[in-house]
Amino acid sequence: MTEDLGNILKEKLANTSIEGEIVNLEPLTGGASKEIWKFEVNANGKSDRYILRRGSGVEGPLAIKTSDEAKIQKTVRKLGAQVPEIVAVSSLDEELGDAYIMKFVYGESIARKILRDEEYKNTLPKLAFECGQSIAKIHQADINEFPFLPSKTVFEQINDLYQTYVSFNQPSPVFEYTHLWLKKQNFGEINDALVHGDFRLGNIIVDKDGLKSVIDWELAHIGNPLQDLGWICGNSWRFGNTNKVVGGFGDLADLLKGYNSVSNYHVDENMVKAWQVFGTFRWGVICLIQASAHLTGSINSVEKAAIGRRVSETEIDIVDLLFLGGK
Amino acid sequence: MIFDRPSSIELLKAVNHFLDDKIKSEVPAHLAFKLRIVENVLNIVIREIELGQELSEDVTKDLKELIELDAANIDDLASLIKAEKINIEDESLKNLLVKLSKNKIAVDNPNYSTFKKLVE
Repeated sequence: MTEDLGNILKEKLANTSIEGEIVNLEPLTGGASKEIWKFEVNANGKSDRYILRRGSGVEGPLAIKTSDEAKIQKTVRKLGAQVPEIVAVSSLDEELGDAYIMKFVYGESIARKILRDEEYKNTLPKLAFECGQSIAKIHQADINEFPFLPSKTVFEQINDLYQTYVSFNQPSPVFEYTHLWLKKQNFGEINDALVHGDFRLGNIIVDKDGLKSVIDWELAHIGNPLQDLGWICGNSWRFGNTNKVVGGFGDLADLLKGYNSVSNYHVDENMVKAWQVFGTFRWGVICLIQASAHLTGSINSVEKAAIGRRVSETEIDIVDLLFLGGK
Repeated sequence: MIFDRPSSIELLKAVNHFLDDKIKSEVPAHLAFKLRIVENVLNIVIREIELGQELSEDVTKDLKELIELDAANIDDLASLIKAEKINIEDESLKNLLVKLSKNKIAVDNPNYSTFKKLVE
Protein backbone atom coordinates (compact mmCIF):
# COMPACT_ATOMS: atom_id res chain seq x y z
CA MET A 1 0.00 0.00 0.00
CA THR A 2 2.81 2.42 0.89
CA GLU A 3 4.47 1.83 -2.49
CA ASP A 4 1.22 2.52 -4.34
CA LEU A 5 0.69 5.70 -2.36
CA GLY A 6 4.27 6.75 -3.16
CA ASN A 7 3.55 6.42 -6.89
CA ILE A 8 0.29 8.33 -6.60
CA LEU A 9 2.08 11.12 -4.72
CA LYS A 10 4.81 11.26 -7.31
CA GLU A 11 2.27 11.61 -10.08
CA LYS A 12 0.39 14.33 -8.20
CA LEU A 13 3.56 16.29 -7.44
CA ALA A 14 4.65 16.04 -11.09
CA ASN A 15 2.02 18.74 -11.79
CA THR A 16 3.87 21.09 -9.46
CA SER A 17 7.51 22.03 -9.64
CA ILE A 18 8.36 19.32 -7.13
CA GLU A 19 10.16 16.42 -8.71
CA GLY A 20 12.34 13.71 -7.30
CA GLU A 21 12.37 10.39 -5.55
CA ILE A 22 9.79 9.90 -2.79
CA VAL A 23 11.34 8.25 0.27
CA ASN A 24 10.58 7.56 3.93
CA LEU A 25 6.81 7.60 3.42
CA GLU A 26 5.33 6.87 6.86
CA PRO A 27 1.92 7.22 8.51
CA LEU A 28 1.75 9.60 11.47
CA THR A 29 -0.54 9.53 14.46
CA GLY A 30 -3.09 12.12 13.54
CA GLY A 31 -6.67 12.97 14.33
CA ALA A 32 -9.21 10.18 14.55
CA SER A 33 -10.74 11.07 11.19
CA LYS A 34 -7.88 11.85 8.79
CA GLU A 35 -4.85 9.98 7.51
CA ILE A 36 -1.58 11.86 7.87
CA TRP A 37 1.65 10.76 6.18
CA LYS A 38 5.12 12.26 6.17
CA PHE A 39 7.55 11.79 3.32
CA GLU A 40 10.63 13.26 1.73
CA VAL A 41 11.42 14.16 -1.84
CA ASN A 42 15.03 13.63 -2.87
CA ALA A 43 16.36 15.53 -5.87
CA ASN A 44 19.78 16.85 -6.86
CA GLY A 45 21.38 15.66 -3.65
CA LYS A 46 18.94 17.48 -1.42
CA SER A 47 15.90 16.36 0.50
CA ASP A 48 12.68 18.25 1.32
CA ARG A 49 10.05 17.11 3.81
CA TYR A 50 6.30 17.14 3.18
CA ILE A 51 3.06 16.11 4.85
CA LEU A 52 0.09 14.48 3.15
CA ARG A 53 -3.31 14.99 4.77
CA ARG A 54 -6.04 12.81 3.39
CA GLY A 55 -9.73 12.32 4.24
CA SER A 56 -10.81 8.78 4.91
CA GLY A 57 -13.84 9.23 2.65
CA VAL A 58 -16.23 9.09 5.62
CA GLU A 59 -16.81 12.65 6.81
CA GLY A 60 -18.43 13.65 10.09
CA PRO A 61 -21.46 15.95 10.06
CA LEU A 62 -19.30 18.88 11.23
CA ALA A 63 -16.19 18.31 9.13
CA ILE A 64 -15.49 20.06 5.83
CA LYS A 65 -13.74 18.53 2.80
CA THR A 66 -10.00 18.11 3.17
CA SER A 67 -9.41 20.00 -0.09
CA ASP A 68 -11.43 22.93 1.33
CA GLU A 69 -9.11 22.98 4.35
CA ALA A 70 -6.31 23.63 1.89
CA LYS A 71 -8.20 26.53 0.26
CA ILE A 72 -8.65 28.23 3.65
CA GLN A 73 -5.00 27.85 4.54
CA LYS A 74 -3.90 29.34 1.23
CA THR A 75 -6.13 32.36 1.83
CA VAL A 76 -5.21 33.06 5.45
CA ARG A 77 -1.52 32.55 4.69
CA LYS A 78 -1.72 35.53 2.35
CA LEU A 79 -3.04 37.58 5.29
CA GLY A 80 -0.03 36.71 7.39
CA ALA A 81 -1.57 33.96 9.53
CA GLN A 82 0.81 31.18 10.51
CA VAL A 83 -0.21 28.12 8.48
CA PRO A 84 1.76 25.53 6.51
CA GLU A 85 2.44 26.21 2.83
CA ILE A 86 0.18 24.08 0.63
CA VAL A 87 1.95 22.66 -2.44
CA ALA A 88 -0.78 20.48 -4.01
CA VAL A 89 -4.51 19.87 -3.56
CA SER A 90 -6.40 16.76 -4.69
CA SER A 91 -10.16 16.39 -5.05
CA LEU A 92 -12.22 13.32 -4.23
CA ASP A 93 -12.37 12.15 -7.87
CA GLU A 94 -8.57 12.05 -8.22
CA GLU A 95 -6.58 8.94 -7.39
CA LEU A 96 -5.15 10.51 -4.24
CA GLY A 97 -8.70 11.32 -3.09
CA ASP A 98 -9.78 14.29 -0.97
CA ALA A 99 -6.35 15.42 0.20
CA TYR A 100 -3.58 17.98 0.15
CA ILE A 101 0.19 18.09 0.43
CA MET A 102 1.94 20.74 2.51
CA LYS A 103 5.49 21.61 3.42
CA PHE A 104 6.65 20.05 6.66
CA VAL A 105 6.78 22.50 9.58
CA TYR A 106 9.56 21.86 12.07
CA GLY A 107 8.35 21.85 15.66
CA GLU A 108 6.07 19.88 17.94
CA SER A 109 2.30 19.36 17.90
CA ILE A 110 1.88 16.66 20.54
CA ALA A 111 0.25 18.38 23.51
CA ARG A 112 1.83 16.35 26.29
CA LYS A 113 5.33 16.91 24.91
CA ILE A 114 4.79 20.65 24.59
CA LEU A 115 3.50 20.81 28.16
CA ARG A 116 6.25 18.67 29.69
CA ASP A 117 9.48 18.85 27.67
CA GLU A 118 12.26 21.14 28.87
CA GLU A 119 12.64 22.48 25.32
CA TYR A 120 9.35 24.43 25.51
CA LYS A 121 9.68 25.89 28.99
CA ASN A 122 10.38 29.36 27.62
CA THR A 123 7.59 29.03 25.04
CA LEU A 124 4.75 28.19 27.41
CA PRO A 125 4.59 31.48 29.39
CA LYS A 126 4.02 33.51 26.20
CA LEU A 127 2.00 30.94 24.26
CA ALA A 128 -1.44 32.12 25.46
CA PHE A 129 -0.68 35.65 24.24
CA GLU A 130 0.58 34.34 20.88
CA CYS A 131 -2.46 32.08 20.48
CA GLY A 132 -4.70 35.10 21.13
CA GLN A 133 -2.89 37.07 18.42
CA SER A 134 -3.03 34.16 15.99
CA ILE A 135 -6.76 33.56 16.55
CA ALA A 136 -7.49 37.27 16.07
CA LYS A 137 -5.57 37.26 12.78
CA ILE A 138 -7.64 34.32 11.49
CA HIS A 139 -10.80 36.19 12.49
CA GLN A 140 -9.78 39.15 10.34
CA ALA A 141 -10.08 37.17 7.12
CA ASP A 142 -12.79 38.39 4.72
CA ILE A 143 -15.62 35.85 5.04
CA ASN A 144 -16.59 36.44 1.40
CA GLU A 145 -13.46 34.48 0.45
CA PHE A 146 -15.07 31.30 1.78
CA PRO A 147 -18.42 30.74 0.03
CA PHE A 148 -17.92 26.97 0.40
CA LEU A 149 -17.93 27.09 4.21
CA PRO A 150 -21.06 26.50 6.28
CA SER A 151 -22.30 29.59 8.11
CA LYS A 152 -24.13 29.09 11.40
CA THR A 153 -25.30 31.26 14.28
CA VAL A 154 -24.53 29.88 17.71
CA PHE A 155 -28.19 29.01 18.30
CA GLU A 156 -28.30 27.11 14.98
CA GLN A 157 -25.16 25.27 16.08
CA ILE A 158 -26.67 24.47 19.49
CA ASN A 159 -29.76 23.11 17.78
CA ASP A 160 -27.70 21.06 15.30
CA LEU A 161 -25.57 19.60 18.07
CA TYR A 162 -28.65 18.86 20.15
CA GLN A 163 -30.46 17.14 17.25
CA THR A 164 -27.32 15.10 16.54
CA TYR A 165 -27.20 14.01 20.19
CA VAL A 166 -30.93 13.13 20.08
CA SER A 167 -30.43 11.06 16.91
CA PHE A 168 -28.09 8.68 18.76
CA ASN A 169 -30.92 7.75 21.13
CA GLN A 170 -28.74 7.75 24.22
CA PRO A 171 -30.42 10.22 26.58
CA SER A 172 -28.12 12.20 28.87
CA PRO A 173 -29.66 14.21 31.72
CA VAL A 174 -26.55 16.44 31.77
CA PHE A 175 -26.78 17.19 28.04
CA GLU A 176 -30.52 17.94 28.34
CA TYR A 177 -29.74 20.36 31.16
CA THR A 178 -26.89 21.90 29.15
CA HIS A 179 -29.14 22.37 26.15
CA LEU A 180 -31.70 24.33 28.23
CA TRP A 181 -28.91 26.39 29.82
CA LEU A 182 -27.22 27.23 26.52
CA LYS A 183 -30.47 28.39 24.92
CA LYS A 184 -30.74 31.11 27.60
CA GLN A 185 -27.22 32.54 27.26
CA ASN A 186 -25.94 35.74 25.69
CA PHE A 187 -23.07 34.79 23.38
CA GLY A 188 -22.20 38.36 22.38
CA GLU A 189 -23.21 40.40 19.35
CA ILE A 190 -20.16 40.26 17.11
CA ASN A 191 -19.89 40.21 13.32
CA ASP A 192 -19.42 36.80 11.73
CA ALA A 193 -15.86 35.70 11.04
CA LEU A 194 -13.82 32.76 9.83
CA VAL A 195 -13.80 30.40 12.84
CA HIS A 196 -11.02 27.80 12.97
CA GLY A 197 -13.23 25.56 15.07
CA ASP A 198 -10.52 23.43 16.68
CA PHE A 199 -7.75 25.80 17.81
CA ARG A 200 -5.92 24.07 20.68
CA LEU A 201 -2.80 22.08 21.53
CA GLY A 202 -2.64 19.17 19.12
CA ASN A 203 -3.61 21.45 16.25
CA ILE A 204 -0.83 23.99 16.58
CA ILE A 205 2.87 23.51 15.99
CA VAL A 206 5.26 25.21 18.39
CA ASP A 207 9.02 25.27 18.79
CA LYS A 208 11.31 26.73 21.43
CA ASP A 209 10.62 30.25 20.12
CA GLY A 210 6.82 30.04 20.17
CA LEU A 211 3.82 29.39 17.95
CA LYS A 212 4.86 28.31 14.45
CA SER A 213 1.78 27.05 12.63
CA VAL A 214 -1.97 26.40 12.90
CA ILE A 215 -3.08 23.08 11.41
CA ASP A 216 -6.16 20.83 11.21
CA TRP A 217 -8.85 23.07 9.73
CA GLU A 218 -11.53 20.42 9.30
CA LEU A 219 -14.01 22.08 11.71
CA ALA A 220 -13.68 25.55 10.14
CA HIS A 221 -16.87 27.51 9.48
CA ILE A 222 -18.30 31.01 9.44
CA GLY A 223 -19.83 32.20 12.70
CA ASN A 224 -19.32 34.05 15.98
CA PRO A 225 -15.53 34.35 16.44
CA LEU A 226 -15.71 34.06 20.24
CA GLN A 227 -16.22 30.33 19.72
CA ASP A 228 -12.46 29.87 19.14
CA LEU A 229 -11.67 31.63 22.44
CA GLY A 230 -14.08 29.49 24.46
CA TRP A 231 -12.89 26.29 22.77
CA ILE A 232 -9.23 26.61 23.77
CA CYS A 233 -10.39 27.31 27.34
CA GLY A 234 -12.27 24.01 27.65
CA ASN A 235 -10.89 21.55 30.17
CA SER A 236 -10.88 18.86 27.44
CA TRP A 237 -7.85 20.64 25.96
CA ARG A 238 -5.85 21.22 29.17
CA PHE A 239 -4.38 17.72 29.12
CA GLY A 240 -4.49 17.37 32.88
CA ASN A 241 -3.21 20.88 33.73
CA THR A 242 -6.67 21.86 34.85
CA ASN A 243 -5.59 25.03 36.70
CA LYS A 244 -4.20 26.54 33.48
CA VAL A 245 -7.40 27.62 31.79
CA VAL A 246 -5.95 28.27 28.34
CA GLY A 247 -4.92 24.96 26.81
CA GLY A 248 -3.26 23.70 30.00
CA PHE A 249 -0.48 26.30 29.66
CA GLY A 250 -1.84 29.82 30.09
CA ASP A 251 -4.22 32.28 31.67
CA LEU A 252 -7.34 33.75 30.12
CA ALA A 253 -6.09 37.31 30.72
CA ASP A 254 -3.01 36.64 28.54
CA LEU A 255 -5.04 34.99 25.76
CA LEU A 256 -7.34 38.02 25.63
CA LYS A 257 -4.44 40.49 25.84
CA GLY A 258 -3.01 38.84 22.72
CA TYR A 259 -6.39 38.75 21.02
CA ASN A 260 -7.27 42.35 21.81
CA SER A 261 -3.84 43.54 20.61
CA VAL A 262 -4.84 42.50 17.08
CA SER A 263 -8.65 42.53 17.06
CA ASN A 264 -10.82 45.51 16.07
CA TYR A 265 -13.21 44.82 18.93
CA HIS A 266 -12.52 44.20 22.62
CA VAL A 267 -13.27 40.88 24.33
CA ASP A 268 -13.79 40.70 28.14
CA GLU A 269 -13.22 37.65 30.32
CA ASN A 270 -16.92 37.41 31.19
CA MET A 271 -17.79 36.82 27.51
CA VAL A 272 -15.97 33.49 27.50
CA LYS A 273 -17.83 31.29 30.01
CA ALA A 274 -20.94 30.58 27.89
CA TRP A 275 -18.59 29.67 25.02
CA GLN A 276 -16.64 27.34 27.31
CA VAL A 277 -19.83 25.44 28.14
CA PHE A 278 -20.84 25.48 24.47
CA GLY A 279 -17.42 24.14 23.45
CA THR A 280 -17.52 21.38 26.03
CA PHE A 281 -21.00 20.34 24.89
CA ARG A 282 -19.77 20.46 21.27
CA TRP A 283 -16.81 18.21 22.06
CA GLY A 284 -19.19 15.82 23.85
CA VAL A 285 -21.37 15.58 20.75
CA ILE A 286 -18.30 15.14 18.53
CA CYS A 287 -17.33 12.19 20.76
CA LEU A 288 -20.83 10.76 20.21
CA ILE A 289 -20.46 11.22 16.44
CA GLN A 290 -17.07 9.49 16.41
CA ALA A 291 -18.36 6.58 18.47
CA SER A 292 -21.43 6.24 16.31
CA ALA A 293 -19.26 5.66 13.22
CA HIS A 294 -18.07 2.52 15.00
CA LEU A 295 -21.42 1.56 16.54
CA THR A 296 -23.33 1.74 13.25
CA GLY A 297 -20.69 -0.46 11.63
CA SER A 298 -19.56 2.11 9.04
CA ILE A 299 -16.02 1.82 10.45
CA ASN A 300 -14.71 -0.84 12.82
CA SER A 301 -12.30 1.12 14.99
CA VAL A 302 -11.32 0.60 18.61
CA GLU A 303 -10.21 4.25 18.65
CA LYS A 304 -13.68 5.45 17.73
CA ALA A 305 -15.32 2.97 20.09
CA ALA A 306 -13.17 4.25 22.96
CA ILE A 307 -14.06 7.87 22.31
CA GLY A 308 -17.70 7.05 23.17
CA ARG A 309 -16.57 6.68 26.76
CA ARG A 310 -15.07 10.17 26.72
CA VAL A 311 -18.53 11.76 26.64
CA SER A 312 -18.53 11.48 30.43
CA GLU A 313 -15.44 13.72 30.56
CA THR A 314 -17.50 16.50 29.02
CA GLU A 315 -20.41 15.85 31.39
CA ILE A 316 -18.25 16.23 34.49
CA ASP A 317 -16.64 19.36 33.02
CA ILE A 318 -20.07 20.88 32.39
CA VAL A 319 -21.42 20.17 35.90
CA ASP A 320 -18.16 21.59 37.27
CA LEU A 321 -18.59 24.79 35.21
CA LEU A 322 -22.31 25.17 35.96
CA PHE A 323 -22.67 24.03 39.57
CA LEU A 324 -19.28 23.70 41.26
CA GLY A 325 -17.49 26.95 40.45
CA GLY A 326 -15.23 25.43 37.80
CA LYS A 327 -13.25 27.80 35.58
CA MET B 1 -21.43 -17.82 38.51
CA ILE B 2 -20.58 -21.34 37.35
CA PHE B 3 -17.23 -20.39 35.80
CA ASP B 4 -13.75 -21.24 36.99
CA ARG B 5 -10.94 -18.84 37.73
CA PRO B 6 -9.45 -16.85 36.20
CA SER B 7 -12.43 -14.53 36.59
CA SER B 8 -13.36 -12.21 33.74
CA ILE B 9 -11.37 -9.44 35.42
CA GLU B 10 -8.34 -11.67 35.88
CA LEU B 11 -8.48 -12.68 32.21
CA LEU B 12 -8.66 -9.07 31.05
CA LYS B 13 -5.77 -8.11 33.33
CA ALA B 14 -3.71 -10.96 31.85
CA VAL B 15 -4.41 -9.67 28.33
CA ASN B 16 -3.46 -6.15 29.34
CA HIS B 17 -0.24 -7.36 30.89
CA PHE B 18 0.62 -9.28 27.72
CA LEU B 19 0.01 -6.22 25.52
CA ASP B 20 2.09 -4.00 27.76
CA ASP B 21 4.91 -6.45 28.40
CA LYS B 22 5.34 -8.20 25.05
CA ILE B 23 3.62 -6.24 22.28
CA LYS B 24 4.17 -2.55 23.04
CA SER B 25 7.90 -2.67 22.36
CA GLU B 26 7.37 -4.55 19.08
CA VAL B 27 5.04 -2.17 17.22
CA PRO B 28 5.74 1.11 15.36
CA ALA B 29 4.84 4.43 17.00
CA HIS B 30 1.44 4.94 15.37
CA LEU B 31 0.33 1.47 16.53
CA ALA B 32 1.81 1.96 20.00
CA PHE B 33 -0.54 4.94 20.31
CA LYS B 34 -3.51 2.73 19.38
CA LEU B 35 -2.29 0.01 21.70
CA ARG B 36 -2.52 2.47 24.57
CA ILE B 37 -6.14 3.08 23.62
CA VAL B 38 -6.76 -0.69 23.60
CA GLU B 39 -5.29 -0.97 27.10
CA ASN B 40 -7.49 1.91 28.26
CA VAL B 41 -10.55 0.18 26.82
CA LEU B 42 -9.74 -3.01 28.72
CA ASN B 43 -9.29 -0.99 31.90
CA ILE B 44 -12.74 0.58 31.43
CA VAL B 45 -14.26 -2.89 31.13
CA ILE B 46 -12.38 -4.08 34.24
CA ARG B 47 -13.62 -1.09 36.27
CA GLU B 48 -17.16 -1.48 35.00
CA ILE B 49 -17.25 -5.15 36.05
CA GLU B 50 -15.75 -4.27 39.44
CA LEU B 51 -17.67 -1.07 40.28
CA GLY B 52 -20.46 -0.66 37.73
CA GLN B 53 -23.36 -2.09 39.67
CA GLU B 54 -22.60 -0.23 42.88
CA LEU B 55 -22.06 3.10 41.08
CA SER B 56 -25.31 2.70 39.13
CA GLU B 57 -27.37 1.81 42.22
CA ASP B 58 -25.89 4.78 44.06
CA VAL B 59 -27.36 7.07 41.37
CA THR B 60 -30.67 5.20 41.03
CA LYS B 61 -31.32 5.47 44.78
CA ASP B 62 -31.10 9.29 44.67
CA LEU B 63 -33.03 9.38 41.42
CA LYS B 64 -35.99 7.52 42.94
CA GLU B 65 -36.10 10.01 45.81
CA LEU B 66 -35.99 12.93 43.40
CA ILE B 67 -38.67 11.89 40.95
CA GLU B 68 -40.64 9.55 43.23
CA LEU B 69 -41.12 6.80 40.68
CA ASP B 70 -40.11 3.26 41.62
CA ALA B 71 -39.00 2.29 38.14
CA ALA B 72 -37.25 5.60 37.45
CA ASN B 73 -34.15 5.44 35.28
CA ILE B 74 -31.71 7.88 33.70
CA ASP B 75 -33.78 8.11 30.50
CA ASP B 76 -36.80 9.27 32.54
CA LEU B 77 -34.71 11.98 34.17
CA ALA B 78 -33.46 13.14 30.76
CA SER B 79 -37.07 13.33 29.51
CA LEU B 80 -38.23 15.32 32.55
CA ILE B 81 -35.44 17.86 32.12
CA LYS B 82 -36.08 18.12 28.40
CA ALA B 83 -39.78 18.83 28.99
CA GLU B 84 -38.88 21.14 31.92
CA LYS B 85 -41.22 19.09 34.10
CA ILE B 86 -38.67 19.28 36.86
CA ASN B 87 -37.44 22.48 38.49
CA ILE B 88 -34.03 22.92 36.94
CA GLU B 89 -32.95 25.27 39.71
CA ASP B 90 -33.59 22.55 42.32
CA GLU B 91 -30.41 21.84 44.32
CA SER B 92 -31.15 18.13 44.64
CA LEU B 93 -31.38 17.86 40.83
CA LYS B 94 -28.00 19.60 40.51
CA ASN B 95 -26.52 17.29 43.16
CA LEU B 96 -27.85 14.27 41.30
CA LEU B 97 -26.33 15.45 38.00
CA VAL B 98 -23.00 15.89 39.79
CA LYS B 99 -23.20 12.40 41.30
CA LEU B 100 -24.21 10.85 37.97
CA SER B 101 -21.27 12.51 36.22
CA LYS B 102 -18.79 11.53 38.94
CA ASN B 103 -19.96 7.90 38.97
CA LYS B 104 -19.70 7.60 35.18
CA ILE B 105 -16.21 9.07 35.00
CA ALA B 106 -15.11 6.84 37.90
CA VAL B 107 -15.43 3.94 35.44
CA ASP B 108 -14.58 5.68 32.17
CA ASN B 109 -11.50 7.61 33.28
CA PRO B 110 -10.78 8.05 37.02
CA ASN B 111 -7.55 9.88 36.13
CA TYR B 112 -9.50 12.66 34.44
CA SER B 113 -8.39 16.01 35.87
CA THR B 114 -11.82 17.37 36.79
CA PHE B 115 -12.74 14.15 38.61
CA LYS B 116 -9.46 14.15 40.54
CA LYS B 117 -9.97 17.81 41.45
CA LEU B 118 -13.51 17.14 42.71
CA VAL B 119 -12.76 14.05 44.79
CA GLU B 120 -9.55 15.36 46.39
